[in-house]
Amino acid sequence: MNHSRSGWRLTMAVILMAGLGAVSAFGQFAASGTTTLSVTVAAEASISITTTTTTLSSTPGLFVDYTGTTAFTYKIRTTQSTGTGAVNVKITSDFAGAGGPSVATPPSAGDALTYSCTVAAPATACTGPVTALTTATTSVASFGADARSAKAGNSGSVSWTLTNDPVYKTGTYTATATFTISAT
Amino acid sequence: MKVKAKYMKKSLSLELLFLAMCLGCVPGALANSVTGGQTLSANLGPQAKLIVVQPSVPLLHAGATFANFTGGVTVQYKVRTTASGSSTLLVKAASDFSPANGPSIVNLDLTYTCGGATLGSACSGSQTVSTTSQTNVVTVGGGVCTGSGCTGSDPNSVSISLTLVDSPTFKTGTYTTSLMFSISAI
Repeated sequence: MNHSRSGWRLTMAVILMAGLGAVSAFGQFAASGTTTLSVTVAAEASISITTTTTTLSSTPGLFVDYTGTTAFTYKIRTTQSTGTGAVNVKITSDFAGAGGPSVATPPSAGDALTYSCTVAAPATACTGPVTALTTATTSVASFGADARSAKAGNSGSVSWTLTNDPVYKTGTYTATATFTISAT
Repeated sequence: MKVKAKYMKKSLSLELLFLAMCLGCVPGALANSVTGGQTLSANLGPQAKLIVVQPSVPLLHAGATFANFTGGVTVQYKVRTTASGSSTLLVKAASDFSPANGPSIVNLDLTYTCGGATLGSACSGSQTVSTTSQTNVVTVGGGVCTGSGCTGSDPNSVSISLTLVDSPTFKTGTYTTSLMFSISAI
């Protein structure tokens, strides 16, 4: 008698649980539902050189130094509290052609390619004039913590000066300056 | 002996008569059942329900610096509309991104496109998520249902592709908001 009663109870329990399961499955669909969106915004930086070719020219006169300006636009976001950022430049390809100017091995002592910097906030400009190198990067601008540019970017420029040494042979000489930006 | 035989014959006749009466009553007993009809009617009105497949969606970006963040959501839905009715599946942000100083829905930073609706028409083109009004995801026409014998799938589904601007003006950090999808039918 007890055995049959237990079996009946077990059967009813199974039926009841199946019914509850079916109800809960249909209950997941409702008139509305939500999802949570999350995004992690990290430090980022990018630079665009807006002067495709920088021409170094000299005012007609007695060996006045060659000058020219390279303009750029930067975007940056550094980490709150502890972040930093930097814009640097390096001469990645020296002036080619024997007898002309050279960054790595200038023909005369004192010959140099130097530059000064102008940058919009939140950047801090380099303290110029800075001598450009082929062997290492040199500073153009620096940034502190929580530095953020405008959505469209902020402006900056480098003004070059190249010694006009009479020992240079006439001709056209080309070098490549590579700018890099970083942010933490 | 004759009396006894006569009595037995009479008794047998009675028994046979009784048996005949019983057999005669059987069909009557079987025929003595009550039958009746009961009309059942169910008035099925319009109805719609949905479920958001992903309870949470991370917005990510890869590749170019300051490229947009993107993410995807799938919504499943079941619909029944009247012959001249319709159904709409809508979305609205419960609030702006939190904390402040990051992306902002109020600043129109979050947009979405819809695709792959198995029933009805998905929204066309880029839509801007709003915290103040619901915007369209799917529109369904009249006379539809979900299930066996109905057009579409069971359940139906639609894919929502989210795009969030990555502006340098955002402070670093993690930001969240909640999207609420709702559906109705007539």
